[in-house]
Amino acid sequence: MGRRRRQVREEASAWAAAGTRTLPDAIAALSRSLPAGPSPEIFRRAKFDRPEAAPELWRLLFRVLSPLLADRAAASPGLGAQACWVKAVLCYHGYPRSALAQLPEDGSQGSRELLLALSWLLARGPLLEWLLAQTCVQLGDQVPTFEYEVLAIPRLAAPQMDAEGPVDIRHLQWLMGKLHFRWQNLISIQQEQCALLSKGSAVLSRGCFFLPAAIGDRSVPSRACHFADGMEGPAALCHTPQIHTYTFGCHSDQNLGHLSVTETETLRDPEGSQQLLQVLEQENARLEAALEWRRYELVFWQWMDTVLGACPPEDPSVPSFQPRIPEHGRGKLELVARELQALKEELQVLQKLLHEEVLSRRQAWETRVGALGHGPEWSTSRQDLQQAVEQELLALQQSWKQDRYPSLPRRRHRLVKIEAGAAGAQGLPVAEVIRGLKSQEASLEVVLCQLQGQCRQELARLVGTMPGLIWILPPGR
Amino acid sequence: MSIVTVQLGQCGNQIGFEVFDALFMDSQCSQGFCSKRENEAYQASCRERFFREENGVPIARAVLVDMEPKVINQILSKAAQPGRWKYGQHACFCQKQGSGNNWAYGYSVHGPKHEESIMSLIQKEVEKCDSLSGFFIIMSIAGGTGSGLGAFLTQRLQDHYSNALKMNQIIWPYGTGEVIVQNYNSILTLSHLYRSSEALLVHENDTIHKICAKLMNIKQISFRDINQVLAHQLGSVFQPTYSAEGSFHYRRNPLGDLMENLVPHPEFKMLGVRNIPQMSENSLAYSTFTWVGLLKHLRQMLISNAKMEEGIDWQVRPSLPRLPPLNKLSLNREQHFNTSLANLVILRGKDVQNANLEGFKDPALYTSWLRPADALSVWKTSRAFNRYERSAALVSNSQFFVRPLDTIVGKAWNMFASKAYIHQYTKFGIEEEDFLDSFTLLEQVIASYCNL
Repeated sequence: MGRRRRQVREEASAWAAAGTRTLPDAIAALSRSLPAGPSPEIFRRAKFDRPEAAPELWRLLFRVLSPLLADRAAASPGLGAQACWVKAVLCYHGYPRSALAQLPEDGSQGSRELLLALSWLLARGPLLEWLLAQTCVQLGDQVPTFEYEVLAIPRLAAPQMDAEGPVDIRHLQWLMGKLHFRWQNLISIQQEQCALLSKGSAVLSRGCFFLPAAIGDRSVPSRACHFADGMEGPAALCHTPQIHTYTFGCHSDQNLGHLSVTETETLRDPEGSQQLLQVLEQENARLEAALEWRRYELVFWQWMDTVLGACPPEDPSVPSFQPRIPEHGRGKLELVARELQALKEELQVLQKLLHEEVLSRRQAWETRVGALGHGPEWSTSRQDLQQAVEQELLALQQSWKQDRYPSLPRRRHRLVKIEAGAAGAQGLPVAEVIRGLKSQEASLEVVLCQLQGQCRQELARLVGTMPGLIWILPPGR
Repeated sequence: MSIVTVQLGQCGNQIGFEVFDALFMDSQCSQGFCSKRENEAYQASCRERFFREENGVPIARAVLVDMEPKVINQILSKAAQPGRWKYGQHACFCQKQGSGNNWAYGYSVHGPKHEESIMSLIQKEVEKCDSLSGFFIIMSIAGGTGSGLGAFLTQRLQDHYSNALKMNQIIWPYGTGEVIVQNYNSILTLSHLYRSSEALLVHENDTIHKICAKLMNIKQISFRDINQVLAHQLGSVFQPTYSAEGSFHYRRNPLGDLMENLVPHPEFKMLGVRNIPQMSENSLAYSTFTWVGLLKHLRQMLISNAKMEEGIDWQVRPSLPRLPPLNKLSLNREQHFNTSLANLVILRGKDVQNANLEGFKDPALYTSWLRPADALSVWKTSRAFNRYERSAALVSNSQFFVRPLDTIVGKAWNMFASKAYIHQYTKFGIEEEDFLDSFTLLEQVIASYCNL
């Protein structure tokens, strides 16, 4: 314990020393760019696995892994639930260290493991960019497409329900129905948003105005105002019907043509624009921090190497992913495992048998083939034959070349009809071709006869070598 | 998001008027026991749902349909009184000849004949909504026009507006019926609505009659009294509530949220409403309530299937989980116990954030295949409703209607077995097979609810 404390102190002084001054800077930049990032001191303590750093890191990871969920502050779950969630999502993303999965779920321990997990997330992809994009302030109007990715993330309540006892089909039907209603709700919200943003001139004659400057009407109905105060996003939207129509031509960017809901709102309500400015400034600060982090990143990773060095090596025998097996499933699982083992053994025996069988068959075949005259004299006679054939072939080719008509072209020729006696006609005179082909035929026939004779002789010789065989010779020509 | 109300037949039109009047009067009421700003947001939310504006006058988002002009003319003249809301100028459809309490006539004759005109009226009203959440269809189930034409129109709405939700507010006939074929009409309506509507919100004439007599102390009970109580109950459900716990924004899509919480399962669509307190205006001034007291009563009304706060059977208790009934007595008691599929509790008024709803989270109240967390939802607002400092309403998908439904199906079957009055229906194309289909479907519904 004493040694450890000394270690911490040394690290603290090294931290403060001039040589490593950029490390706290790097970590500070990282934490400023994260949503609700903890102080650099928390990171330093996490290196030594100090428990006091753990709760804040659990919370940080929860926010990092589920920015949309965490932003609804009212519904933020307790630390235990957050820890459970973080573990589940990391497992879902394939986080390889088993030490994290074994941490207690009360969120009181494991600060070093959490630091490693965080840096794993940072190292494996554009985490910061993704987070910044998620929390980006929208100035323009956007109609989102459905994000299947978000739908795919397991829900918080899910782990309690998995296969504990039989599931009543009515419960599934109930859930299906619920999904159906949510889907319908989503569709109608999207339809509403689309309809409101791009309402045509058909509705110009009715409803409340929004932009006094653009309309020249000072008596803006207060209806629109208290809606915007008293209701959430889509509700405020629903009383901004003609924004795109009314603000047509107001935007400095000619390509856009009209103002967005946010832009109109800032014109209408200067106080609200102060808030917007603040939010934008916060976002800017985070973006700056992210840029700074990029500069100092290397220092951080060097430091992370020392963190990794400080933790005990993982036992490789422990699988990195341990699926939770429900208690009542254990018995069944063992049965299946035993059955599998038995099958495996049977398979091995069969493989061995097969191997032996193949070996014996091969040997038997080889002996039989050897008996058929696979001796040395067979191979020499074969070589002689090959040589003879090759010589013959060569001779043939040469005779072909010599015999060939000098003007006989090798290319293919188009079949053309030519008037007799036409001067300078391209192509081949038919008579010449026929003559050439005839002489070739004659010489080839001579060669064929010779070869046939040779073959017969050879066959006769072979018949002599194999006493058990009866050769039926082809009829001579 | 807006809701388009379709008022059908004599009953539907009379109730529709009272509902709009109750919603309007409540939203105009200055006695909201809340801040001015909150009151304004509440009014705005109510307006968005049920009214639109024409020249500064609130116009009900409603379409009125009847085959006789009498009732529509009455309510139009009532709504035309100055300083109030109005119906749209071209929102009515009426004819000279009714359906004579014949469901088949409303369904097979009036329906196809007037489909085009009625659907185009509805279409025009829908086009006036920035966004449509769904339809609220008010009708009786026992008559001719409301029930027959209502069943027909609900199907057409299902075809034309597949993304919009449909909730049918249906009025259950008096047990001692006015119409000889009311049971036939009822089973035909219910079975058709079960196929085309997402939710059936049921009000029993008998129940509301009793409320008028016992709680409101009305001596000569008129249809208007009954309809006002009914409108009060509906208002306490559909007036704005906060969108989430701790939020001060108002819910945007009450119809969608209600359905998602209560009727996701296609076999269970029957919803009942209970509310507390309910009393005459005179007594209201001298009464105070606590959330503990109100919720204790409301819970007992739920589990003992009491229709109102008077005459609740306090002996009914949820059985202890996983203990078999020990003797016959507890078995009997269990039979009286009203098991819920899902409940929605709506609380309005002072200190609403302090109301304790643990009593409704008992798993013993619900069917075994739903956890209380899934089966119970709570809507709140600190804005008081209709001058009640504190009030609670309960919309329940439970065994409330097993017995009334069983009675109606039983009576209809007895008539059907002796082939009584069938020719009145076959004359207009409703065959015996249609009756048999309806019986089958409703028997299935009864069995499903019994097996909760």
